[in-house]
Amino acid sequence: MATSNVRVYRDLMGENEKWAAQTREFLGAKKLTMLNLIGSPGSGKTTLLECLVQEAGDRVRFSVLEGDVETTHDAERIARLDIPVSQLLTNGACHLEAKLVHYALKDLATSEGSVVVVENVGNLVCPAEFDIGEHAKIAVLSVTEGEDKPLKYPLLFRECKAVVLSKTDLLPHLRFDIAQCRDYVRQVNASVPVFEVSAMSGAGVRELLNWVLSVRA
Amino acid sequence: MIFFNRCSTGSRSSATKGIAMHEFSICEGIVKAAVEEVEKMTPRPKALRLARVVVGRLHAIVPDNMEMAYEVLTRDTPIAGSKLELEFVPIAAKCKVCGWEGSIEPPVFLCGSCLSGDIEVVTGRELYLANLEVEVDGNE
Repeated sequence: MATSNVRVYRDLMGENEKWAAQTREFLGAKKLTMLNLIGSPGSGKTTLLECLVQEAGDRVRFSVLEGDVETTHDAERIARLDIPVSQLLTNGACHLEAKLVHYALKDLATSEGSVVVVENVGNLVCPAEFDIGEHAKIAVLSVTEGEDKPLKYPLLFRECKAVVLSKTDLLPHLRFDIAQCRDYVRQVNASVPVFEVSAMSGAGVRELLNWVLSVRA
Repeated sequence: MIFFNRCSTGSRSSATKGIAMHEFSICEGIVKAAVEEVEKMTPRPKALRLARVVVGRLHAIVPDNMEMAYEVLTRDTPIAGSKLELEFVPIAAKCKVCGWEGSIEPPVFLCGSCLSGDIEVVTGRELYLANLEVEVDGNE
């Protein structure tokens, strides 16, 4: 039996990219800004989102797509803020892909000029691999996780347009070295802004909101 | 009232339903592409031996996970029994400050000469099916 070697050159992210591109088109037509919030389970993504929505008041309308493996807990929390929200369940997958986000976004009751936040499945690795059509990825790292995470998970910190250091009210109880953490972020992504935020005290939330508004398409 | 969308598993085989690794998602694309490419070939090859995929180092792909995913996902397909070969491309960058060009060793993305972070990553994002090694009838 002879063998033959055939050159193909076929892009493998094509399917996901196709849906991400359709989402970008949809966002453009409806003048929406979409952010992709990525961080570990328990890093405070949902609480941060609640804070941002409350801080925004009438400055901007938010709507939310909540990504989780199971349960509608997070969407129930966000729904109490009286903003449009959908829960996306991945059935075991560790990240959101562009197709699911695209369909959910089209069903979401967004208003023109508003900001859609997609809270990805809690995970520092896989979500960073998948473009879902967002304008910016935001990496959320809580100070209880250790300052070296930017070096351990470089893809996310390289790809993101902002880093949030959350739970800073806990710093007095921890040995977390903020300056060291900022330097690790700089080594991976020199120009990315870093926001120190406490959802408990509200410190840093306004600065983060101002940045979010600056991303607007 | 909360709407919710559940990921459709219609396109996933029951063997992989609920397996939580991004390698599986990426590998689904590889298998689909390889099957389609093999079916397009005329004359149709007897079998696929090897699929070679080029992967940039920026993708966090673990070869063992990918090979396991490939083995599971190709079962009951026309390319069952074939092997997956990964060819990794290093991350190369160009410094916008001093003009240095060279390879970057993650996780640090700084210029190899002046240590500036203002660099442009030029390779490392690749992810494509490059070659298929197929068995053909020797008499043809």
